[in-house]
Parts: sequence; structure tokens; C-alpha cells
Amino acid sequence: MEHRARSPSGTRPTPTMTIAATYLPVLALLPFVVGMLVAFLPRHARNAAAGLAGATALIGVLLTALLYRGVTEGAVLRQTWSWLPDIGLELTWRLDGLSWLFSLLVTGIGALVVLYARYYMAAEDPVPRFFSYLLSFMGSMLGLVLSGNLIQLLFFWELTSLLSFLLIGYWHHNENARDGARMALTVTGLGGFLLLMGVLLVGHVVGSFDIDTVIANRDVLMASPLVTPAIICLLIGAFAKSAQFPLHFWLPHAMAAPTPVSAYLHSATMVKAGIYLMMRLWPVMAGNDTWYYVVSLAGLVTFLLGGIAATFQYDLKGILAYSTISHLGLITLLLGLSTPAAAVAAIFHTLNHATFKASLFMAAGVIDHETGTRDIRRLSGLFRHMPYTGTLAIVAAGAMAGVPLLNGFISKEMFLTETLAFHTGSLLDRLLPLIATLGSAFSVLYSVRFIHQVFFGPEATDLPRKPHEPVGWMRLPIELLVFICLVVGIVPNLSVGPLLRSAVVAVLGPEAPRFHLELWHGFTPAFMLSLVAMALGASLYFALYRRLANREARERPWAGRARARRIFDGAMTGLFAGAGFITRLAGTVRLQPQLFLIVLAAVVAGAAPFVYHAVTQAGAGLTLGTRPLTPVSLPFVVVWAFGIASATGAAILAKFHRLAALILTGGAGLAVCLTFVWLSAPDLAVTQLLVEIVTTVLLLLGLRWLPARVATKEDRERARALVVARRGRDLVLALIAGGGMAALALAAMTRPRVGGIAGFFNANALEGGGGRNVVNVILVDFRGFDTMGEITVLAIVALTVFALLRRFRPAREVVGSTRQQRRQDAYDEARSDREVGDTARDYLFVPRIVMHLLFPVITLFAIHLFLRGHNEPGGGFAAGVAMAIAFIIQYMARGTRWVEERLRVLPLIWIGTGLLVAALTGIGAWFFGRPFLTSAHGHLHLPVIGEVSLASASLFDLGVFALVIGATVLMLIALAHQSIRSARASLSTQELEGATSAPSPAAAETAVKLGEAGGD
Amino acid sequence: MTGLLEVLDRHVSIVPILLPLIAAASMLLLHERRRRAKAVVSSVTLAAMFAATLRLLMVVADPSTPEIVVYRLANWSAPYGIVLVADRLSVLMVMVTVLLGAAGMTYALSRWATLGPRFHSLYLLLLMGLCGAFLTGDLFNLYVFFEVLLAASYGLALHGSGKRRVKAGLHYVAINLAASVVFLVGVSLVYAVTGTLNMADLAAKAGQLGPDDLVLLKAGLSILGVAFLVKSGAWPLSFWLPTTYSAAAAPVAAIFAVMTKVGVYVILRLAALLWPGGEALALFGSSWLLYLGLATVLFGTFGVLASSELPRMAGYLTMVSSGTLLAVIASGDPVVLSSALYYLIGSTIGIGVIFLLCELVNRRDGEVAAQAVGPVFHDDFETQLRNEFEGVELGVTLPLATTLLAAAFFFVALQLVGLPPLSGFIAKFGMLAAVVEAGSGGYAHAPASAAWWVVGVIVFSGFCVLVALMRKGVNVFWAEPAGTTRVVRPLEAVPVAFLIALLVALTVLAQPTLRYTAAASAGLEARSSYLSSVLQGPEGEEP
Amino acid sequence: MEIVVAIGIGVLATTGVYLILRPRTFQVIIGLSLLTYAVNLFILAMGRLVVDGAPLLAEGADPSTFADPVPQSLVLTSIVISFSMTALFLVVLLAARGITGTDHVDGDGMSA
Repeated sequence: MEHRARSPSGTRPTPTMTIAATYLPVLALLPFVVGMLVAFLPRHARNAAAGLAGATALIGVLLTALLYRGVTEGAVLRQTWSWLPDIGLELTWRLDGLSWLFSLLVTGIGALVVLYARYYMAAEDPVPRFFSYLLSFMGSMLGLVLSGNLIQLLFFWELTSLLSFLLIGYWHHNENARDGARMALTVTGLGGFLLLMGVLLVGHVVGSFDIDTVIANRDVLMASPLVTPAIICLLIGAFAKSAQFPLHFWLPHAMAAPTPVSAYLHSATMVKAGIYLMMRLWPVMAGNDTWYYVVSLAGLVTFLLGGIAATFQYDLKGILAYSTISHLGLITLLLGLSTPAAAVAAIFHTLNHATFKASLFMAAGVIDHETGTRDIRRLSGLFRHMPYTGTLAIVAAGAMAGVPLLNGFISKEMFLTETLAFHTGSLLDRLLPLIATLGSAFSVLYSVRFIHQVFFGPEATDLPRKPHEPVGWMRLPIELLVFICLVVGIVPNLSVGPLLRSAVVAVLGPEAPRFHLELWHGFTPAFMLSLVAMALGASLYFALYRRLANREARERPWAGRARARRIFDGAMTGLFAGAGFITRLAGTVRLQPQLFLIVLAAVVAGAAPFVYHAVTQAGAGLTLGTRPLTPVSLPFVVVWAFGIASATGAAILAKFHRLAALILTGGAGLAVCLTFVWLSAPDLAVTQLLVEIVTTVLLLLGLRWLPARVATKEDRERARALVVARRGRDLVLALIAGGGMAALALAAMTRPRVGGIAGFFNANALEGGGGRNVVNVILVDFRGFDTMGEITVLAIVALTVFALLRRFRPAREVVGSTRQQRRQDAYDEARSDREVGDTARDYLFVPRIVMHLLFPVITLFAIHLFLRGHNEPGGGFAAGVAMAIAFIIQYMARGTRWVEERLRVLPLIWIGTGLLVAALTGIGAWFFGRPFLTSAHGHLHLPVIGEVSLASASLFDLGVFALVIGATVLMLIALAHQSIRSARASLSTQELEGATSAPSPAAAETAVKLGEAGGD
Repeated sequence: MTGLLEVLDRHVSIVPILLPLIAAASMLLLHERRRRAKAVVSSVTLAAMFAATLRLLMVVADPSTPEIVVYRLANWSAPYGIVLVADRLSVLMVMVTVLLGAAGMTYALSRWATLGPRFHSLYLLLLMGLCGAFLTGDLFNLYVFFEVLLAASYGLALHGSGKRRVKAGLHYVAINLAASVVFLVGVSLVYAVTGTLNMADLAAKAGQLGPDDLVLLKAGLSILGVAFLVKSGAWPLSFWLPTTYSAAAAPVAAIFAVMTKVGVYVILRLAALLWPGGEALALFGSSWLLYLGLATVLFGTFGVLASSELPRMAGYLTMVSSGTLLAVIASGDPVVLSSALYYLIGSTIGIGVIFLLCELVNRRDGEVAAQAVGPVFHDDFETQLRNEFEGVELGVTLPLATTLLAAAFFFVALQLVGLPPLSGFIAKFGMLAAVVEAGSGGYAHAPASAAWWVVGVIVFSGFCVLVALMRKGVNVFWAEPAGTTRVVRPLEAVPVAFLIALLVALTVLAQPTLRYTAAASAGLEARSSYLSSVLQGPEGEEP
Repeated sequence: MEIVVAIGIGVLATTGVYLILRPRTFQVIIGLSLLTYAVNLFILAMGRLVVDGAPLLAEGADPSTFADPVPQSLVLTSIVISFSMTALFLVVLLAARGITGTDHVDGDGMSA
């Protein structure tokens, strides 16, 4: 990536500078470390927490001060840690005049806020958490201003958003705090994501995320078509952070935070992050039209709007919040003007605003703390009680209003001068002086109001607490800040001149204008304007006095706050509701549409290649191969006529005639089975047949629990047009899918056989696998691993069935004896010589004998299947299923109880053993240095059965055999057993008693016999 | 002892599959009530699985040793026998599975394992299925392992029964049975054309086909693709996902977080093998995977916004995660892929944590009503079972439970949204930057602006997820009446802490991890070396 | 033969698909069974059709006349798996029927 980037033209670092640079990471990361520690302090360790925090902040101030020498006259301290070079992400710590100024603000005001907070926070608050958040926030801010890489900057940027969220929501039991926090994170988070996009755009164009490189490649960026989207994304990010219109509304709500937080976030840090970003990018962006218009306009609107809104607030912090917005607008406007002098003014005002706004917030906090209210309508005449705080507040407010001898005055003057200077001659440019003056007038107005209504006027009567001066420690931070305001205001050049100089050079480069901070420039036009502003502000105050001093007044809706809140909430609700709507629209919770979509997707996927092939290569799409067709034989056709008929029948009858459908399905299965025989797949035929039997029995057992359904009148009525249409649609899809499968099958069958892996198996089955039945050898040897997995599936399913049926609750209406059963029992009860269940017993007399005799026969058959499996059709699976059938037949004949009393079935044991045998046989190979499942084999001749292979594979097969018995029997019995439980359940409500006490034999038969019940 | 270790070392790549199988099987022989014994067996098994996977990881990661470990089952070399192929990618997936599995199992030990029969066996078999699916190099064997993990997942999704689970389970089973049918059709079609089932052999044969056969092969593969998309939870084939996952028991849902990644993994693997350079990801002249991925992200995002309770949110988050992966890997660019894999690790673990938290957050008192249990058939251990589930003890509860939960939730939310300080930020940034750099180089058949669309959609989704999770978190942790206490048992806190520690480690060790994922994606590019190492005979000679 | 088998597959698949799209659980399970038949035949067909060529290495048997054994083994595996899945689905639908009191796939009275 780097190659496209022109390397930055920075000053060559001297050895001392490189040493100094190593302190940068310490400066940024120390607060995080201490913050972590503080978090683990006990809940009431106020002093310890505050002490640690304060010490950290002071160390920060000290380090910053020491590093000053490294950043004068455009010098830059840089330190790069290689972190993630692979994705072009390295940690570059970078300090220049501008970031130095900001870190001074962050640490310095941070220290004062910590001191203030120590006395502001109540004893019952979990203070360690507070200071931990505060420190981490300080760290994020420092990291942000010390980042030399846009991604790194973004990283800390997001951290400031998150931590401000935690700080604003610190008193989370209070709803306003929660909402304020959510709103703040939503807005700044949105900004963050857009900033990410902006950074990606810039990085993509410039080819590097390194800030110096980006600045050095200004022309590359400006030449790119992506510059406008990039600027817009970056600016939205900055505006969201710095509360610029229209993203300003979160800031007033953030006032729900503890006052120290407000004093910190809204004077020196959080909101200044956006300003910092704009200053950082100023050298790159300034002069670009998009930048000029977007930034200046946003700044202008914010400046005015904030001023007006502040005027009509009744909450002290509300006034300060909007005044903050207004002043941020002022700074933004200056940055938008894109002239060096304006940039100077912007930087200077940032500094001044931080000082006086912090002190004002603290003063407001003191008033709140000592009187118990921040409502300007209740406060009045406080000067009597707290003259000292009052004086401090008056000075700070003066600075805010731009009164001479105070720092605010000087930067305000510079601002007005800039507005007067001619730039582009645009309409905006012409109107600027007027609007600027108006805005300044408003800041005069709300400053005057703040002081006059709080400290003067009649004695306040209804204050929650008796007001008095705060403890000295709580006042100290304010005193210091106000002192700074005065010093800077009186001897600007001596105090901040050099600092400002180095910051300005950092932004504007060495050719930055030589400015001279003066308290008095003489009667310049700018001075006139500020006089006008003051006069206007004062007179406006007296004009509006009646309304503003009205103690019953309610907040004006157009004062922004409430309305913005409504809009925001509306937007959020809309977002959630819209999302819900889309989710319902583009999704479904019903099964049928989902299955429909899957089939549809398969059809489309299957068809797409042929269509594409036909369209692009002008190929024929789906083609038949050259393989000669096998001659048709009539019986086969007859079989399939039968098969097709029964399949169709099953499809039609499945809804109202379950039993019939089941039998017909069996018919279709039989056709498949015969096809297997025909097409030389005896193993498949055998297995298919056996599985067929078991499946049918299972389904029969299941039928008993389904609700009786007969095609009633309303059923037919229910077949409304809609339903018919839906069925039609499904049928069409089904036809396409079926036709598609048929076509694919035909296409494949008519192609000549490919020389694949098959030949190898035929060749090696006997030598390598020791079996004549190639299919079986594949199953237990070549691809034995598949079989391994397959029996595992069987085992898992058995376990699941077991678990499910344990919790099985039949539906009310099918509980208890079924129609046939009731009829029989009634018959039995009617006759004295018979007892309940006899009919059923007689009715099954002959079959029972036969079935009973079948047991040994089937067992023998199973063993035979198993032994010959390796050479003839058969094998462990088939044998297992056969054996299971032998068991289930006994269940049919004798009933659950009878069987379970005589032979103890422990299917889980069978399953477990089977799996183990199979797996361990496979592992056995390890000890001959061969991989899993490698088989060894020999042969042996037995009478009757013939050649038996003693392959280790047969041991594996034995495992399969055991497992299949276990699993199949488990499923069958578990299902059959339900009838006993529910038969009991019908008698006693207690389901649990069911199985232990002996149920009637009759109930046992229900297992199978009454399977038909649901059918007709 | 050392002898045994040597033996194990030679067969290390099959251990993650065999171990859970054997453990599960032996636990079937254990009495249902031998809880402690089972807990021990499961823990030991998982520890051993971890050890084996770690060993495998070291082998494939170490440049001096072969980066592809091929294991020829039954000693038949590919393409005739089934082979397990452990390369960087598959081992990475196995590692994620094992780690998440260990966490889930630990969590389950505190209560869930006792709320239904044979939990341990089912859980281990699910892990077996996952590991098998990641390791196998044979298409049909992949089908078998899919069935193994699905069967186990059915059992686990229904674990604990109850109306919601059974209803969700019915849909889940039906849909996946249909998907399996699709899978079979696809795989057999592939065999019909190429006469082989081994993936590497398939890749070799695909090049030699005539146009008429090639089109048939493509049909088979794209039918397979549908099955994989269902697994990976891609819109519009994944509406079952949130319902099923949110209904499942917490530890089960946690491991389910990996299951969607199986689909993604297979798509990635086959695409890389069959048509290198991401062409398969843009079959038939359109980058369908890109569009599906974006649609999935958007749908998942709206779902997250729309759903009120946490488990459902987590379900949709799963969709967002796999959608993001699909959309991003669709670019077929190796650099993008390496970041995408890094993202995969973090997001999978993160979603796992969310699923674990769901229950703890909503549970005010740890007691669950023991459901009535009837014996399935008459034999003594069954009847003894009856009062097995009564009075599940609460166990010691941790102090500050709520604070811990809130912190965990906060960090995982950041991970999933892609905000600092956790790896989510790095992953998201890495992916997006790479996508932008690849530009129109990736997304062969998409408009040139495709890269920006991906960036836009993913960023938008990030914002929406932030809003949704923040709302949820504030309502749960901040707005609750004072004095509400939560119950968290140590065995439930430990896995959560463990997974979050993993996320931290993933962040701190981002560089080595990214190196590994880069190597993995490079390995995916180096198709020929994969083919040669899979298709060569046992001791290197040609079969 | 090929054509007959193809038609057979087609019909089984059609009926199967139609049934799995129906609202009653029993219809769905029958549909799945039919679909399974179709797929098993399909797999077998993928090895091409061979009459009297069972892959049994009896003395004097000529492997070149054998049917392809691979699809057969695949079918065997799929038979086993689909059998267990059918059983599972049956039990799940019974459980659903018991708990929701209806046999509708969505557990409510909706019909189509």
C-alpha cells in the first residue's frame, strides 16, 4: 500500500527527541492502567480512588509540560510500534504543537475535574467506578490526540464514545441518565461508523492511513473523485462528536450526567474531539469547496441556533449546554472559512472556551450542590450567600460574553475580524459579519441572564437547601480556571502566545502567519462590532426580561430540546418498527414456505448451469449421452406401473386415509426393492426390504396417536380458491422438481461409464479386503469410515427417540382405549365367563403361535445373513434389522409386558457396546502400525454356511450388528410402550405411576393392533 | 507411555473424531445417574481433544513440518479410500469447535446435563460430527458427518423438551431432511460425471471434462451448494435458524454457533478446489454468493432490531455473522479471506458467549421446574430414573453476579458490533479495508461498486446491531428495579469468562493469528500442493 | 429401461415433493419416505443400469460386467440414515402432536 504514498516532509528527529517520544505511549496508556486498578477498589474508597486519579492526571500534566520542547516550531515527536503490519495497522504515537495543546487541556482540566469530583460526588455513589471510567476516558482522549494514524485515531475515537456513554449513564437508576446516554452513543456511534467509512475512503485513495502521509498527499486526495464522499463521511463523524447542527441534540440530554462529567466532556474533551479532527484534517481539506460550504454553514447555523436556544433554557446546565453548542459552532465556522488567520482564531478560541466553560459548569455544579436546584426560575439573589463563588462565576461568564480583559474577548475579536475580512465574495461571505454579531449578541444575552437571575434580584424563598459557600477544595479548580481566564485576557502574548504559536505552526506549517496577540488593537471595525454585540445583547435582555424572569414559564418547545428528543425517539421507533415489518415481509415462521423455498432453490440451482450453458456457449444445455439403452422388459414396466400407481395413490390418500397411504407407500417401496434386484443390487434389495418392514411397523405404531381425520363437509368447504391455488402451485413445483430429477437421471444414465474408482474396488476386494461381495467390502473396509458414521447416526437417533418419548404426552382425545378396544372390552364385560381383554387375546390366538415360532427361525436367518455378509448379499446391518424384527414380532404376539418380563432388553447397552466394538476394532490397526480401520483377514470353511471370512472387518461388522439391534429395538419398543403409559394415564392423572404398576395385558396389544385406529 | 504417545501422534488427525465417539459410547454403558463420572469423562475427553487439536495446529502451522496432514483411513490411499485432510483452515475450524465445545460442556455441567437423558453422549457426538465435517476430504463422507452432526443437533435441540423446543424441532428436522435429500442428489450426480468422491480427485478430474459433462458437474455442484447454504443459514433458506437456536438450551445453542460455519467452510473449500480464483463463488456470470450474503446480513440485522428477547437476537446475530462471511469471501481475494477467517473466530466465539448469557441474564432464580418423566420401557434403571430430575440444587452463587454479567455483555456486544477494544474492531476494519483494496479485482462478475456496497451494508449492520444491543443492555442491566439479584453458579461463570479471555487473547495476539489465517488462505490458494499431497500414495509413491 | 427408471424416479420425486409441502405432519413423513425412494434409485442410476451384474466375485465372474458397486454402497448408507431419520421425524411429530394437540406442521389449526 505504502508505495503509492509520498513520504511526509517532516523535520528530522534528533536523538533527544526520539527519547522524548518514548514517553508518548506512557502518557496515553497510564490512565487506562490506573483506571483498571481503581475499578477494583472497595465501593467507598473515595479518597484512594480520587487520589490515584488525581495523581495520574498530574503526571499527565507534568509529562506534557516536559515534552513541550519537542514540539515547538513545527517539530514533531513520533514513535511507531509495529502492531498489525499485515492489515496496514501500526500504532504511531505522534505529538506536535496542536496535539500538545489538546493533551494539556485533557490532562490539566482532567486534574481539576478530579479534585472537584472528589467533593461533588455523594458518599453513597460507587465512586471507584466513576473515577475508573473518568481515567479511561482521559486515556482515550489522550490516545486520540496522540494518534499518528487514522485507524488508531478511530480506535480511540470509538472508545471516547463508549466511555462517555458509561459516564453519562453513571446514575443509571435515573431514566434521564439512561436516555441521555443512549442518545449520545447512538449519535456519536453513527458518526463513528461514518468516520470509519471516511477513513477507509481516504486510506484507499492515499494508500496509507498515516496522518503525515495523508497530509503530504493532499493533491492526490483532492484529485480523486472519491474526495467528496470522503469529506462528507469524515465531517458527519466530526459533527456528531462536536454537536454540530443537525446532530447537536444529544448534547443537552447528556446533561443528565454528574456535573463533573459535563464539565469535563463539554469543555475540554469529548466535544473537542470533533474539533481536533477538523483541525488535523484542515491542511488537507481546507480550500475544498465541499469543505468550505458544509463546514461554514453547519458552524454558522449551530452558532446562532445554540445561542438562541441557550437564551430560553431554565436549567443552568441547559444554558451552558446550548452555549457550548453555540461556541463549538463558532469554532467550526472559523475552520470552515479556510483562511490561516481563521484557523488561528479557531485554535485560540478552543483553548479559551475550554477554560471558561469548565469553570462555569463547575460553578453551576456548586450552586446545584449547595442549593439543591439548577432551575433558574427558583434561584435568585444568591450573591448574598456565596459572594465568592458569585464573583468567580461573573468573571467566567464575562469571558463567555467576550468582555475585555478576559480571554474570551480576544478570540471573539479575532473571530469578528475574520468575518469582516473578504474571502470568496459568496452570499454567505457577505452576510457573515451581521450573523456573527447577532450570534455574539446572544452569547452576551445568556451570559448576562445567567449571572443576573442567579446571583441578583430578590432573595430566593423556596430553595431545597439553605445556600452557603462550598468547601474551599471544591472552589479551588474554579479559582484556577478563572485566574487563567484573567491572565490570558490581560497578557495574552506572554501567557499563551508561544503555545498557540507552536499549535498554529503544527496546523499551518512553517509559513503560518505571524500573529501578535494584543489586548487592545485600537478602535478597529471588529471592536465596533463587539461593542454593538454587547449593546444589542444587553438591550435584548431587558426587552425579553419579563418573559425570561417569568417564574411560571415552561420551556419553549422551539427551544429545540423537547422537539429534537421527539424526532429522535420517533426515528428510533420507526427503525425498530420498520425492521419488524421487513423481517415479517422477507421471512416466515411457517414450515411450508420454507420447504417450498428449499425445493425451489434446488430446482433453480440445478437448472441454472444448463440455461447458462445454452445461452452463452450456445450449447444444447442438458444433453443425453451415447450409451446404448438397456432393452426394456415387460415385467419391469408392469412393476413400475404398479409402483407409480401406488405412489400417486399414497400422495392422494395421505391426508384422510393414513393407513391406505401407508400401505401404498409400502407398495412403492416394493417396486424400488424389485428394481434393486433387477439392476443387480441384491444387498440393496435385502436391506431395503428389511428396513421397509421396520419402518412400516414404526409408522403403524405412530398412527395410533394421530387425530382421527375424516373428510367432513367443512373440510371440503375449506378447500377455498386460495387453498386450491396453493395446492396447484405446489403441484407445479413438484412436477418441475420430479421432471428435473428424471431428466438428470436420464442424462447421467445415458452417458458412458467413466473410469472412476469403481474398477479398483472390483480388482482389490478379494485380495485387499478379503471378501467376494464387493459392496460389503466397500462398506466395511474401503469406505468403512462411512459405515462408522452411519451407525453413529443410528445410535444418536435412538438416543433422541428415547429422550423424546420419556417426555411424551399424548393428546387428550387419543388417551385411553380406542374404539375397537372399547367395543371388545364391552363385549367381554357383558359376559360373566370372560374377563376384559379375552377377545383381543382370542382374536390373536393363531397368529401369536405362528409369530412365536418365527423367533428362532428369524434369529437363524439373521445369523446366516451376518456370516455370509462378506461374500454374499447380507452383512451386519441386514442381520441386525432382521434380529430386531424377530423381537418386534414377539411384542406383537405376546404384548409388551410378556416380552419384557421374559427377556430383558437393555438397548442402550447394545448400542454402546456395538459402537465401542466397531471403534476399537478400527483402533486395533494402530498397534500394527496401520491407520484406523485397516483390516486383516483369513478364510475358514464351515459346514452348511460355507466359506466364512475371518476378516477383522467381520468384528467391525459385529459391532454394527449389535448396534443395529439395540437401536432398532429401542425405537420400536419405546414407541410400542407408550400405549401402556397412556392407557394408565387415562385411568390415573399421575403419568409417572404408569409403568411400574402392572397395566392390563389388553393395553399391551394396543401397541400394535390399535395402530389402525387413527387410520380409517 | 511414550510408545502410546507416539502412536497417538501418528494418528493425531483422527483423534478429534474418535475420542468423542469412544467417550460417548462408553458413557452409554454408564448408569444415567453417574453424573460425576460422566462429568469427569466429558471433561477429560475435551481436554484430550484440545491437546490433539493443538498438536495438529502446531504441525500445520510450523513451516518445517508438512502443512497438510493426510490420514488414509483403512490404509487405502485417495481417491479409493476415505482420507482426512488436516490443513491450516480445517484445523483452525476444529480448534474453534473444540474451544467452544469445552465452554459449552462446562456450562452444561452445572445443570443442563441433568435435564435430559444422555446429554453428554449427544453433545460429544455433535462435536465428533463437526470435527469430521471439517477434516474429511471425501464428499460422501462429508454427507455422513453432516448427518452425524445433524442427528446430534436434533437430539440436543430437543434436549429438555417443552412446547417451544418440540415445535421448533419439528421444523428444524423437516427442513434439514429436505436439505439432506438435496445433498444426496448433488453428490451422486457429481459421482456420475467424475466417477470419484474424493474432493482432490474431483478437482483434478473436473479439469478434464468435456463441455457437456462439465455442465452436468456444475449442476451437481450447485445443487450441493443449496444444501450448504441451508446449513450456513443464508437468506432465504434460514428462517428456521433463529427459532431453533433461540429455543435450544443455552449450552447447546452456544455450540450451534459453529454449525452455521460448517456450511461456510465447505463452500469455501470446494470453491477453492474446483475453480481457483473465486470463480466458483461467481458461477454463471453473477456473484450470487455476494448478493445472498448481503441479503443475509440485512435480514439478520433487521431481525436483531425487531426481536425483543435476547436468544432470538442471538439467533439473528448468527445470521449476520455468516452472511458477512459469505458476502466477504465471495470476493475470492486471499487478503480479504485472511481477515474474514480472523473475523470468523471472533464472531463465532462472541455469539457463543451471547447464547450462554441469554439464560443467565433472564434467569432471576436458578430453579427450573422438573418436568414429569415417565419410563420408556420396563426395566429397573428406568424406574429408578424417575426422581432423577427432582431438586436440581442451586449451587453456590457468585457475588456481584449482575455486575459480572453486565461487563461480559458489554464486551461481547462490542465484539459483535465491531467496536474497540476487542478483536471485532480489528477484524471488521481488516475485512473492509481488504475488500476496498481488492476493489473490482474481487467480485469478478459484480458491478465495480460492489466493494463499496459490501462496506456500506456491513457498516450499516454494525450500527443497527449497536442500537439494538444497547437498547437490550440498558433495559436489562440499567433499567431493572434496584435490588434484583441474579443467580450465577461458578460452573456457568467460568466458561463465559474463559471465552471472553479467548476474545482478549485474540486481540492481543492479533498479529500471529492474522499470520496464521493469511497462511491458511494462502494454503487454500495453493491448490496444486493440496492435490499432490492428498492424491499421492501412502509412502509418497504414486498409487 | 433407463426411461422407465427415469419416469419412476420422476414420479416418486414429484409425489414426495408435493407431500412434503402439505400441512399435515403425516403427509410430510410419507412424502419424505417417497422422496427417499426416489433419491436411492437416483443414486443407483448414477452408476448406470446393469442387469445381472451383481458385484459378487464368484469364481469366473468377470468384473468388467459388474454393476458399479460404489453407488450401491452409497445407497446402503443412505438407506440406513434415512431410515433412522424417518423414525426420528415420526417421534418428533408424535411429540408435537401430543404437545400442541394438532397434527399441523406449524402446530396450529391452519389448513391448506
